[in-house]
Amino acid sequence: MKNIKKLVLLALIITAAACNDAIDIAQPGRLPADVAFQNVGDLQDGLIGLYALYDTTSEIQFNSVFADEISIGFDNGGQGLGNGEYGFVLNPNSAAPNSIWTRNYAAMNIATRIIEAASLVEVGDGEQAQLNDILGQAYGLRAFAQFQVQSYFTTDYANDGALGTIILNFIPTIDQSLPRNTNGEVYGQIESDLSTAAGLLTTQSSATFISQDFVTALRARMAAYRGQYSLADTYASQLLASYPLANRAQYEAMYLDADDTEVIFKLDRTQSDGYNGQGATGSGAAGGWAGANYAFVNSTLAGSPYFEMGRAVFNLLDPLDIRFDVNVDPSSIISPDYQNAVDYRNEDILVIQKYPGSEGVPLMNDLKVFRASEMLLIKAEALADAGSINGASNSTAALIKQLRDARFGTDQPLPTYTDAADAFGAILDERRIELVFEGHRWKDLKRLGSRANRGISRDPLDCAINGACSLEVSDFRFTMPIPIIELNPNNVIREQQNPGY
Amino acid sequence: MRSKLTWMLTPLLVLCMSLSFGQEKTISGNITDQLGLPLPGVNVVVVGTTTGTQSDFDGNYMINASTGQVLRFSYLGQKTVDRTIGASSTIDVQMEEDAEALQEVVVQGYRTSTKEKSSIASVTVSAETIALRPNANFAQTLSGQVAGLNITTSSGQPGGNTQINLRGVGSVNGNTEPLFIIDGAPVDEDNFRSLNPNDIASISVLKDAGATAIYGNRGANGVVIIKTRGGTFNSATRINYLGQLSFTSLQDNDYDLMNAQEQLTLERDFGNGRGAGLTDAEIGASPNFDWSNFFFDTGLTQNHTLNITSGGENINSFTSLGYTNVEGILQASDLKRFNIRNNISGKSENDRFNYGSNFSINYSESNEPNSIGSGAINRNYILGAYQSLPYITPDDYTDGAALLSPLSFANTPLFLLDRLRTYTRKESEVKIIGTFNASYKITDDITAKIVMSGDYTDEHLTRAEGPTSFNALLFGGGANPTSGFQDQFVTRTFTYNQVLSLNYLKTFGKHTVDVGAYSEYFKAHYRRFGFRENGLNPKTFFPGDGDGFITDNGNNDFFVDAPAADILNAGLFSYFGQADYDYDTRYGITGTIRRDASSRFAGSNRWATFWSVAGRWNISNEAFMEGSIFDVLKLRGSYGTTGNQNIVDAVGQFAPFAAADLYLDLFATGAGYGGANSIVPSQLGNTILQWETIEQSNIGLDFELFDRRLRGSVDGYIKTTKDLFQDRPLSAVNAQTILRANIGSLENKGIDVTLNYDILRGGTDGVNMSVGFNGNYNKQENLEIPTEDGTVVGAGSLTGRQVGGPLNEYFVYRYAGVNPANGNLLFLTADGDVTESPNVDTDRVWLNKNIYPDYQGGITFDLDYKGFFVSTQFNYAVGVDRYDFDLSGFQNPNNIGQFRHSRDILDAWTVDNRETDIPSLTASNLALGGSSDRYLKEADYLRLRFAQVGYTFPQEYLKGTGFNVLRVFVNAENLITWTKWRGFDVESALSTGSRQYPTPRILSVGFELGF
Repeated sequence: MKNIKKLVLLALIITAAACNDAIDIAQPGRLPADVAFQNVGDLQDGLIGLYALYDTTSEIQFNSVFADEISIGFDNGGQGLGNGEYGFVLNPNSAAPNSIWTRNYAAMNIATRIIEAASLVEVGDGEQAQLNDILGQAYGLRAFAQFQVQSYFTTDYANDGALGTIILNFIPTIDQSLPRNTNGEVYGQIESDLSTAAGLLTTQSSATFISQDFVTALRARMAAYRGQYSLADTYASQLLASYPLANRAQYEAMYLDADDTEVIFKLDRTQSDGYNGQGATGSGAAGGWAGANYAFVNSTLAGSPYFEMGRAVFNLLDPLDIRFDVNVDPSSIISPDYQNAVDYRNEDILVIQKYPGSEGVPLMNDLKVFRASEMLLIKAEALADAGSINGASNSTAALIKQLRDARFGTDQPLPTYTDAADAFGAILDERRIELVFEGHRWKDLKRLGSRANRGISRDPLDCAINGACSLEVSDFRFTMPIPIIELNPNNVIREQQNPGY
Repeated sequence: MRSKLTWMLTPLLVLCMSLSFGQEKTISGNITDQLGLPLPGVNVVVVGTTTGTQSDFDGNYMINASTGQVLRFSYLGQKTVDRTIGASSTIDVQMEEDAEALQEVVVQGYRTSTKEKSSIASVTVSAETIALRPNANFAQTLSGQVAGLNITTSSGQPGGNTQINLRGVGSVNGNTEPLFIIDGAPVDEDNFRSLNPNDIASISVLKDAGATAIYGNRGANGVVIIKTRGGTFNSATRINYLGQLSFTSLQDNDYDLMNAQEQLTLERDFGNGRGAGLTDAEIGASPNFDWSNFFFDTGLTQNHTLNITSGGENINSFTSLGYTNVEGILQASDLKRFNIRNNISGKSENDRFNYGSNFSINYSESNEPNSIGSGAINRNYILGAYQSLPYITPDDYTDGAALLSPLSFANTPLFLLDRLRTYTRKESEVKIIGTFNASYKITDDITAKIVMSGDYTDEHLTRAEGPTSFNALLFGGGANPTSGFQDQFVTRTFTYNQVLSLNYLKTFGKHTVDVGAYSEYFKAHYRRFGFRENGLNPKTFFPGDGDGFITDNGNNDFFVDAPAADILNAGLFSYFGQADYDYDTRYGITGTIRRDASSRFAGSNRWATFWSVAGRWNISNEAFMEGSIFDVLKLRGSYGTTGNQNIVDAVGQFAPFAAADLYLDLFATGAGYGGANSIVPSQLGNTILQWETIEQSNIGLDFELFDRRLRGSVDGYIKTTKDLFQDRPLSAVNAQTILRANIGSLENKGIDVTLNYDILRGGTDGVNMSVGFNGNYNKQENLEIPTEDGTVVGAGSLTGRQVGGPLNEYFVYRYAGVNPANGNLLFLTADGDVTESPNVDTDRVWLNKNIYPDYQGGITFDLDYKGFFVSTQFNYAVGVDRYDFDLSGFQNPNNIGQFRHSRDILDAWTVDNRETDIPSLTASNLALGGSSDRYLKEADYLRLRFAQVGYTFPQEYLKGTGFNVLRVFVNAENLITWTKWRGFDVESALSTGSRQYPTPRILSVGFELGF
């Protein structure tokens, strides 16, 4: 039995020695922050990670459902109704503000980290140009995120004194409660990042990466939103010089991701990225295939389209217009007399085809951000603002005709507008079909609605289900609420909630 | 076996032996206890020989011995009796309780004590109340048996996980379930599907800090100590067989669901769905089918357990074989299990060295459907059972391809029927739990001990969506007609635990001192690997087999497979001491202190100290209590701290490894934009993370009076959790919106009551009747919340936490019925004014309701008479509120044409029916109802959880059969429930769930045979 004593002693010694083995454990595969970025190659990988944060599916969903691009589909399982988005329910708990706010702030944070890491990495011979381009893209992406969040949360784009969003051009500490900056400050920050980007970027144009043209396009859109139309005109014209409008075949191919003629920038979506999946259907959280914002399976009648094209949008589309072919799936059931249909929901099924899928994957398509036609319409706004609404050249009417000529493939009549409001109304209507399902409608109404006498307007049959037929642009819901997820930790911003919420 | 042989051979032996010696004879007799009741299982040994036996169920024994030899009768808690064999061949013995100790052994963590000398709050449940019950997971059986132990089962999956909370929920985000220790081995508290409940000898639930502090690093939520059965030294070989056959079925609901004709009429009236435009005759001719009878059906369960016990002079063993086959009530859910257990204990001749080992090897295979609870109409079978339209029938199904066009929600049951045929989800598991313990008495007072244990789990998951299935065809699309996938994952975990101790126990006159020093080492390893194969060839596909795998090609990326592999490790190290002092079995005090380190906090606050003090006063042992009605009266008190290092409440094998290093700032690599390689930040570290600490004070009274007819205990406790693991909300500018941190505190206070009363004590020939009650009242309160206004509400969440309120309190605006004027929903503003458009942010109010019961427990009633026995157990819970989103679906007009409805909806508001609680079918603010309290319903209940009737055949009937135990019984679980809850199962831990797999009603018959 002496052995037992020895064994006990041995066990005690082993245990004492083993104690650190149990509590000093380094998990495999961890990449500590301080060694994450060591050279230019690492920074390039970081940039790829940053791009992956950008996703506009929430915006596409919100603009479609809350505004007036869709109607409740025959195969709807409560999408849009259960959460009230289709009934103009918008509050700090809603999914879209949450998603747009958190996603863009995460992007700004990571962009800033890459910008700051750039000064610490080792730069090899001949790598400076690559480093500059990486940095330029990071600045461009940061400006883009700041502008996206700005465009949903400020009360008034054109008022530099109004409350905008939090400027994020530094790495915050977790105990900071940051207040909102004024629009003037926010636009200043965006312009500053864009100038820095313009000074660093080595690429003039690229459909899927940040380039000089991206910077110009963002400047054009920002100027238009702010009502700085002469600037907007300058930038838009600059781009229109190198990006022609797509012809009908190119236009159709563009939505199959097979043609980039008029694409200035789009977010690439492919099978091997993190967005290849259904995402949250019927929710502003979205986050997967863009087409899954409208259908569960594919963009045909058999694809379970839980949202269909709103009848009011459809009524604006001429069957001879290529935009009819692009946006309306051929399997749609179009009622010849929808207003007198016995069972409207099942007799008039307008299947959305804007995101038919690519690479053989249904519903997965690149997310178009800037296109030449938007630049043309920005220019048309600038002209309307300057009073040049009619006339065969250098007028709103001429540009609308130019766009319609391209879309119809035939010479279209030159429109005449009675006044500026009429011209702005025509621009809004044209944007409604040209940029439909691309995440513009709500913002366009917000900024142009009062000048154009337009608001959210659904076909009466589409809104019979809940009575949510129209909403004036003066409504408080044309500014998003700061989401609860931000109100909870940030007691400063609580006092700066947008009106009405 | 030996007893049987002995019994049969005895006449022969006696005859033979008489030829040579003429003295050996058969001694028989009856052994009773102090009260004259038969005492089974008493060891009877012929001193100085290896001959021994045990008394049978009626206290009878028989043994061969010679005149002049000494028979020794011993039994736990009784004084050992020696009798010398004289002329008589009958020796009846009345045993006396051993006043010194051991009426009942009380497990004290790493040591045991007697009930009298125990200062802790604990409850022990014996084998009798666990065995013979048909639950595949023994934890379900514990429900309603221990005051303060709240057990809820949210899934009817055979062997499925249960949520176990002792004395309220002690953590917001961390693990809240007690530590489970089986024969010294800490085990995964979420996985008992592989264990055979019939092997359990006793379950001790340790409740107060005095008891749990010694498990400092994992004892914060209480400790449940399970001992499996063992043999006895010097006992005969006994074989026992237990067989049981059970029938499981769906519990009832009160949703008052429509039949096909009513559903079609509703659709016609509303103008959507198949019913739109049909004539009365067409509606009348429609088939009528109840899909809940299709997806659910009666399941058959078999249980077989065979035990063998035997014991020699220095070694004894318990061996058990078990086989269980449970069919779930839901199609495609089942569990098959095979167990082998071998428990051995032995000792040296001089009793100084003791050792034992417990090994069990368990293998189980289960089909477990996933997506339960989800809204996926093509994946959740429960949705199909509850919500499918009754005019669709299985005859409408041909194959998956036929369902593709037209794709219609109404075909939900057919999608799911297709899935039943084409989808596989199977888990097979090998679980080995082994313990070895050895102790050596270095001197008479000092004992050294080692306990080593391992828990090894190897789980194989196979999941396959066949290539011809509706789902594969649907999502594959035209471009990928051979879609379908197969997942195969192997997850292996091994945890090793070792406790070394040195113990000193000495009695000096009236003083007894018991001091121990301990060290504990725990290490856990997690390995997981597997793949998802994308693309299956329907010609050669078979679930789990690779012949049908399609390889990647240059045309597309459809067939790129996704491999995965994980390595994680975790560990704990502790050293601690405990000292116990007793004076004359009247006063006692126990102190514990321990230092603990966890690998989870390696880079922050690794070490923590926990301690406790417990004391008692055995009032009934005082001289002045002589002659009082109290047989036992003991006052106990304790105060102490315990720690929790399980930062996240992960379930299953992964649990010890989740959130392994939250103190680090981390980046990760992976596929980024366009599928290219990327580096992204993955974790913001918290460098000040530390242990969550529970402080608990407890005061209790144990009493037995009126000749022990009334027995019970009352305990009051206050539990405060400090440094709670909570998600600190972060501003979105940090790129993550939560950070797991130690913030705030939470209090649970309450009372545990246990009472048992023997109404009739008729002895073996009379009626014995007893009633029991156990109950817990628990009140929760958030003491501190880490935000400026003292509240936290999740985005989109119906619950939140406020200072002074309970955990996960419902925080919504209030529903106030239907507006008689227009059929819209009415709500209350925060101030109580009626409105149709509440502000979803500012009109929400705290309702002081949550999912956790205020009162819960069980009531038992037992009766026996001459071998007949009846036993019932009622469970109750009061103060539970849950959202009934199933009801919401049945009343939702948006579902007309797609899903099934309750007849409630016929009472919807119309201009002619203005006084109703069902809004107009076209109410414009219907969507606002979902986040109000409209569907928040009371889920209090009283349930006949268990009832049993049986008969034990008396010994005289068994004479000549070779058997010494024969018992038959009939059981029922969940037989009747009284509740306002309208759903299929009132018991669930989910506050907002819907379309869940309900627990079944079980009826079973069984018999037990021993020889």
